[in-house]
Amino acid sequence: MTTELTATGAPRVVPGAVTTFQVASPDLEAVVRDLHGLRLADMFAGGSGGSSPRAGGAATDGDAPTLRLVWANDAGEGQSGYVITETQIDGTEYPALSDVAPAAFVEECEIYEQFGIRPATGKPLNRVMLPPHTDLPTLGRKPAREPDEVRAPHAVAGEAFEFPFGPVRQAGVESLYYGLVTSGEEIVDVYLFTWHKHRGLEWRLAGKTPEQALFLAERAEGLSAVAVGWALAAAVESATGTTPPEAAQRTRAVALELERLYNHAAAMAALCQSTGLSVGQSAAEIALERLLRLNARALGHRYLFGVVAPGGACRAPDSGAIRGELPGAYGEFRRAADALLATNSFVDRLEATGTLTSAQAAALGMVGPVARATGLAGDARLVPGGPYDPDAGGPGAGIRVATATAGDALARFTVMLAEAAESVRLIGQFLDAGPFFDARTAAGIAELRQTAGGTGLGWAESPRGEALAWVALDGDGRISRARLRPASARNWRGFDDACRSGNVFTDVPIIEASFWLTAAGMAR
Amino acid sequence: MTLWFVRGLRRGVVTTRYPARPDESAALLPSPPAFRPRALTEDTARRLVQACPGGALQLARNAALLFDVGRCTACGRCAAAAPDAVTRSGAWELAASTRSVLIKEIPLRGEAR
Amino acid sequence: MTRDPAAGGAMTPEELRAAIARQFGRSLHIRTLDTGSCAVCEQEIRLLAAPHYDLHRLGFFFTPAPRHADLLLVTGPMIRAFEVAARKTYDAMPGPKVVVATGACALGGVYPADPFTHGTVDAVLPVDVWIPGCPPSPLALLHGLGVAVGRLAEKVRDLPFTADDDPERERAAP
Repeated sequence: MTTELTATGAPRVVPGAVTTFQVASPDLEAVVRDLHGLRLADMFAGGSGGSSPRAGGAATDGDAPTLRLVWANDAGEGQSGYVITETQIDGTEYPALSDVAPAAFVEECEIYEQFGIRPATGKPLNRVMLPPHTDLPTLGRKPAREPDEVRAPHAVAGEAFEFPFGPVRQAGVESLYYGLVTSGEEIVDVYLFTWHKHRGLEWRLAGKTPEQALFLAERAEGLSAVAVGWALAAAVESATGTTPPEAAQRTRAVALELERLYNHAAAMAALCQSTGLSVGQSAAEIALERLLRLNARALGHRYLFGVVAPGGACRAPDSGAIRGELPGAYGEFRRAADALLATNSFVDRLEATGTLTSAQAAALGMVGPVARATGLAGDARLVPGGPYDPDAGGPGAGIRVATATAGDALARFTVMLAEAAESVRLIGQFLDAGPFFDARTAAGIAELRQTAGGTGLGWAESPRGEALAWVALDGDGRISRARLRPASARNWRGFDDACRSGNVFTDVPIIEASFWLTAAGMAR
Repeated sequence: MTLWFVRGLRRGVVTTRYPARPDESAALLPSPPAFRPRALTEDTARRLVQACPGGALQLARNAALLFDVGRCTACGRCAAAAPDAVTRSGAWELAASTRSVLIKEIPLRGEAR
Repeated sequence: MTRDPAAGGAMTPEELRAAIARQFGRSLHIRTLDTGSCAVCEQEIRLLAAPHYDLHRLGFFFTPAPRHADLLLVTGPMIRAFEVAARKTYDAMPGPKVVVATGACALGGVYPADPFTHGTVDAVLPVDVWIPGCPPSPLALLHGLGVAVGRLAEKVRDLPFTADDDPERERAAP
């Protein structure tokens, strides 16, 4: 639904809906100011619907990119929804938005690299997505010159030592580059380069059918395969006006909660490893392995790949396996967590480490357990409609969203523990709600309606926070522009603030584990 | 620390005996497909090649289906496209010291090897 | 496997297998390298040290230092921009050393060769053992590591990946 918006009227969020407004370029700054009460969930550019930037290389120069801002209302209690503003940008500049909404800065940098348009203040833009010294295909017009790549100058009493760490790091972790600036022990600044793992996913998705796209989207951030796949499938369903069968939606919800459970167990193991508590790490890993084996028995893959499909779900969960094994696996998880909370040496390392205030989290538009641990109560499962909605047949009492106030690593850990308990409860309710389709009859997938073009927004609450996807389909039902925004793409920007809050080197792995993000989700 | 020590003792050993003893837990997991040559018409083979998102299937000129086990993600799309022609292999000990050993030539129906 | 040039002379396959088993069979240090994975292969690799799998009982250890490593365990489709880092990591490892490419991405699946990725690890590094899977489970990784040090036999060469069962009969069965 598109409505004309003028700078004087504040758009109203329609709960459970996505309303799109056309905004003229000169009005954009004022609109962003008005909308500042909402959370800026994402910002991206794309060819005006129908162009396929991948075919033959860069977009035709004649296509002025359309700048889209996605705003979320996290009011909760059935009031949540999304607003998208669309602005066509002729020329190479648009009003500076990150002065009003700091949450937009990383996206401004990304849009410059991919589309060659920049905010009008001319302030320096950093390199975010594309590796330097390369000539990679972009989604739009290449920028006139390279990003400015200015880092904040730092000195402590005239001295600061900057050392690079990565991208090849310790055993079994992803490639990620840290620039650590220190005056000795204390962290003065941290900046990350996440472009080493840039696989050009949004470029690859152009021209694919929704079914082909899902295969790649699941592998954008494999640890959030269900969430990112669900977001993309929901975006395609919204664009084509398709509703998945109710049982398939419940399947997706069961898979999403199982994903949350194993991720939180893995985060717990990583927290133990970062504090050097090997016994705790082993206990958490036992729980994690049991949960992964449960995933394989219940839905056919340890990491739940191949469950979500555009239009529904490919598989039905094995309810018997879940009922049989989940109590034991979760009991393992709970006992490990309780033992950890009773271990003072562990709790001491987490307390007051990596503290974020709710003002910082809100200003940067952060999501997930990291944001909830500072007191912000948003959760994508609260948006009305879909399998979580109590008014639409979802779990009777709705979802209990866990929050904390301290904003430190301990708060994040306790939020994750509360979420895990809630996930177990929700899975039980979804299983009780009724039978699932027999996967072999493929009745779990609704045929995607054939529509000529169309755009849609999809979302799912991944273990790290809200994952968003937006698609524009062309006349053949193929993707002309897909936007993938896993939660990691939102939350890494808060990592340096968290590290700067009076922490030392050895706290960095603890903070990283408590954020539990991925480099893959940011780099895509 | 006694808390952890006691818990650990009570928990017991969960470690697999693999490779000294076989471990059945791997049998649960998705595995690369096995193809039924009797059901592999050229048309079916073409459909399978189309269905594979990772490029693991190709049609060879001498009318065989080339299956690269290395590229396979066991996603199941080929089985969904032609259930009569594709089944589970159950194989999971797939490591190879020569790359070519992972490329299998599956004869099409009616073709002599 | 890249042999230490000081060793000199050519070996028969049997001698080479015996040499590998002698050199690496009792204690092997593994360096991991992520060239652009989706993060799931890394999670399975981390689980190798977890209680269910415990690679230490087999004499395998992870090391953060390439100088101490014997085996390079590589995931991801070898993103082109990562090539320099990958080569430096490999070059920093003293010989003899073994390279194991693990996961469908590293073996050429998921991402084809294109402007962003090479598509396979062996486009840049000399791979000795390939482990398929998406992701390869910790057990599959243990098998692959065992093959890499000459302790376990390869099985995939003799698997035809064909079946002559009758699908009608399979459907009729409960």
